[in-house]
Amino acid sequence: MSRIQPSRRVAGLMAFATAALVLTACSTQAPGSSGATASASQSGGSAVKAKIFMAPKFTGLAYFEVARKGGEQAAKDLGIDFKYIGSDKPEASAQIATLTNAIPQHPDALVVSAIDGDAVAPALEQARQAGIKVVTYDADAAVTARDIFVNQLTYELAAKTMLDAALLNSPSGGLVAFISASPSAPNHAAHVKFMKQLMDTDPKYASLKYVSTVQFAGDDATKSQEIARNLMQAHPDLKVIISSSAVSAPAAEQAIIDAGKGGQVFATGVALPSSVRDFIKSGNSKAFMMWDPAELGYIATVAADELVKGTITGKEGDIVDAGAAGKYTVGKDGEVDYNKPLIFTAANIDKYQF
Amino acid sequence: MTASVQTVPERLKERLQISGGSAALRIRFMGVLAFQALLMVVFTALVPRFIGWGNVQSILFTAAILAMVAAGQTLVVLTGNLDLSVGSIMGLSAYVVYDLASQAPVLKPYVVLVAIIFGVVLGAINGFLVAVLEIPSIVATLGTLSVYRGFVSFYAHAREVSVGELPQWARHLASANWLGVSAYVWLAVALVLLVGFALRTLPWGRKIYAYGSNPRAAYYYGLSSRRIVIGAYIGAGVIAALVGLLLGAQVGNINSLLADGIELQVLAAVVIGGVSIWGGSGTVYGAAMGAIVLATINNGLVLLGVQEFYRLIFQGAAIVAAVAVDALVQRRVQSATNRRAIMEVTS
Amino acid sequence: MSRQLRTYSSELILVGLIVLAAVWSSGLSPYFLDTSNLLRSAQFFVIFALMAFGLFPVVVQGEIDISLASTLAVGSVLFALLSVRGVSLFAALPIVLVATAALGAVNGLLVAYAGLPSLAVTLGTMGAYRGLAYLLAGDSGVTGITPDYRLLGSSWVGIVPSSVVLALIIAGACALLMGTTSFGRYSYAIGSSPAASRMAAVPVNRTRVAAYALAGGLSGLAGLVWVSQYQSARGDNADGSILFVLTAVVLGGVSIKGGSGRAVGVLLAVVLLGTILTGMQLANVPGTSQTLVIGALLIGAIGLPRAVQLIRQRFGSGQLTAPAGE
Repeated sequence: MSRIQPSRRVAGLMAFATAALVLTACSTQAPGSSGATASASQSGGSAVKAKIFMAPKFTGLAYFEVARKGGEQAAKDLGIDFKYIGSDKPEASAQIATLTNAIPQHPDALVVSAIDGDAVAPALEQARQAGIKVVTYDADAAVTARDIFVNQLTYELAAKTMLDAALLNSPSGGLVAFISASPSAPNHAAHVKFMKQLMDTDPKYASLKYVSTVQFAGDDATKSQEIARNLMQAHPDLKVIISSSAVSAPAAEQAIIDAGKGGQVFATGVALPSSVRDFIKSGNSKAFMMWDPAELGYIATVAADELVKGTITGKEGDIVDAGAAGKYTVGKDGEVDYNKPLIFTAANIDKYQF
Repeated sequence: MTASVQTVPERLKERLQISGGSAALRIRFMGVLAFQALLMVVFTALVPRFIGWGNVQSILFTAAILAMVAAGQTLVVLTGNLDLSVGSIMGLSAYVVYDLASQAPVLKPYVVLVAIIFGVVLGAINGFLVAVLEIPSIVATLGTLSVYRGFVSFYAHAREVSVGELPQWARHLASANWLGVSAYVWLAVALVLLVGFALRTLPWGRKIYAYGSNPRAAYYYGLSSRRIVIGAYIGAGVIAALVGLLLGAQVGNINSLLADGIELQVLAAVVIGGVSIWGGSGTVYGAAMGAIVLATINNGLVLLGVQEFYRLIFQGAAIVAAVAVDALVQRRVQSATNRRAIMEVTS
Repeated sequence: MSRQLRTYSSELILVGLIVLAAVWSSGLSPYFLDTSNLLRSAQFFVIFALMAFGLFPVVVQGEIDISLASTLAVGSVLFALLSVRGVSLFAALPIVLVATAALGAVNGLLVAYAGLPSLAVTLGTMGAYRGLAYLLAGDSGVTGITPDYRLLGSSWVGIVPSSVVLALIIAGACALLMGTTSFGRYSYAIGSSPAASRMAAVPVNRTRVAAYALAGGLSGLAGLVWVSQYQSARGDNADGSILFVLTAVVLGGVSIKGGSGRAVGVLLAVVLLGTILTGMQLANVPGTSQTLVIGALLIGAIGLPRAVQLIRQRFGSGQLTAPAGE
């Protein structure tokens, strides 16, 4: 026992000494950060190819793969050196690692769909300090962390479109329940908030009522189906299940059909046409909604390229010219609203090959 | 030296009789049943609709997939090991097999066979790592969890296999009702009974119990530990691969993340069902009941309109409560058998 | 000398692997060999390192704790909430560390005194603590962290980020704790044989609870690092990272069966994983390949010694080792 005492004291002393050393030597100035700014800032001029990285929330989801194709198309049209980066893990820390390691490679711009808009903000701010332009698409980061956010649909328009799709499925209205990805997915939470508001106030949607508790399925098909079945049991008068998750909406519809309730209960919300084509063709479902992710990726990449070239700066009133994909005005807080909702029905679903 | 070697098999035999002479296990199984009954009473009191036939069907359907995988996991847990890679095996089997079948229609009738082959290979790899290379099972299957999943996403390239590409019979099976109950529930009942039967009567099954309750003694008794452990992993792998097909058919649009993270649910079912994580004791019936308990909790809380946070907390508490009951029962039984052993020695 | 080499063989292998990984990474990406970037990247692994040092004594005792990532989330959310409410860091630090240590101690009590299997217990509390974190954080999470809370993640000691220094201090403290104190000796003893330790009057239960409490507290501290680096907190913070932490501990030469392993090994394992991941990310290697490489590395590193032994047994001519009948 006696042998242990002194070593413990030594340990304490050493810890104290290191702590003291740390406190005295502490600084809040990033070492070498001034140098990084200079090396990355690149003068405009089309002679040099812009180097642009696109980082989805995580790789492996078909939706982001479609957006990637749009980015690659823009790269071809505009002569951009384009790379698609990211982890296959749906975790904020994995995306932070991806972004942190993108900075030393000095891309001219990052095009990012933020998995946790606040947690990735410091990494994106670092990128901006190093002279990298930051464009967010699909899911925004904190306003100070990016130059431009290309929003597929404003939250309110998305909410309206989903409710329109719900009414196409169930014209007489009825009870609506929600499945979101997780309590911490801000766009899903905002969609639900606006949908509830619209049902409460807008006479167009007065025939719809809602279950106030939101269920969460974490973008997992199995979980979404279990919840869909349980929701049908919990509310025998349920007419529509709405989800902002492109995984949950089709999975829930499948569960409804398998429970023999196809055509009586409907799932709708965001979904890729390829995953709901069979439901719509068989007549079990009448409408899902989305936007064109490829065009979204295209516009975001074009916006990044224009920021790099200096044709726009991201201030209110600037115009992003995406050629055939249209012209878009930068609004308040650097937000560009793409706002072209698509509702897929039996009449038009074959037009969309993604 | 010789003396000790002789007494060990005798002790082993005695232990086998005790664990096979299943009074204790029956008590433990009653424990899960009681827990399930309590849940049902509480939920019915709060939401009378809970006990409706439609809702019970819905619970059983949810439990079916979980119960089948849990039955496979039980094989491995009984040997005192774990298989964390079941979710990845399910995802791999579902995605790769259906994708192959949609690209090469020749394969369509043999989908089940292809899945079994995948299950055997992937399970054997796990078994080899654990039994031959002696890597602790958590570590080995944690590694294969990543590797198998990595393989699927590599293969999938973020594409989805859509509903239309699945074989028709698989889709029909997913929505079929036999005698008013989903086909999946019948399949789960059949599989659980089959595995339970195999464990109780086949030498293969009895060896798993023997090895799990005392690996050292089993070694002296001349049982090949390697073959037993690899066999258990292959069993779990084949079941996971087949259930992967069922889950894929149920989900419809299959992406490379199918069944990601399901291993924790499966483990929870097994633990709630009273299968000892230390190996050697527990039954597949218990594990299946564990799956039903989990499905009941999820269903009841949706019926009650409970927030997600409370669901997580409640489910976590249920797992801890279940292992606490398990430990209590085991201690009772152990002290009882100790007493018996002492009496036998003294008499 | 050769005995020294043998005792530290696993650490030496790790050092060798780190060197290899560094060479490989610098071949993969021209941006790898940049000191300030490397240190910045190191910052990213501090959170995992702290959790790994918390998990390390638990694993040495032959137990496991998979609830640590959830405990981290409770910690980060608590820190964020206290910061937003204007509580100073010096007041918040003890509050949160005690709270997270208490969460750890609950695991410890259930494992030690109730005798429950640790995997099952922490599987349960993993969900329960995650629920608690969501409950505290609310739907939108917490932002607007005050500067004092951000200091740790945005200051440097010379050219080294403060949080990296913190991780090194914790590593040193952990090495001293496990190498020189009675807690350390008890932990190794319990891991080797709980029954024998009990007979030798080792306070098994108390030591277990202490290890779990320490793990909880260190996860809470990792929560502070999270808040300081990412300037926000949400209920889903660090979800899923326990697999990485466990990989680091096991790769560090800590036997999952208990009774062996050193803090240096854990530190080196984190460095190794960090080197490989950073290198691959700098070279924009797809995420899938990263997952594959880490999984294969884990299996390879743990299985290789035994594989070599088996091959030697089968093909080695003269030097047959003792039959493996132990």
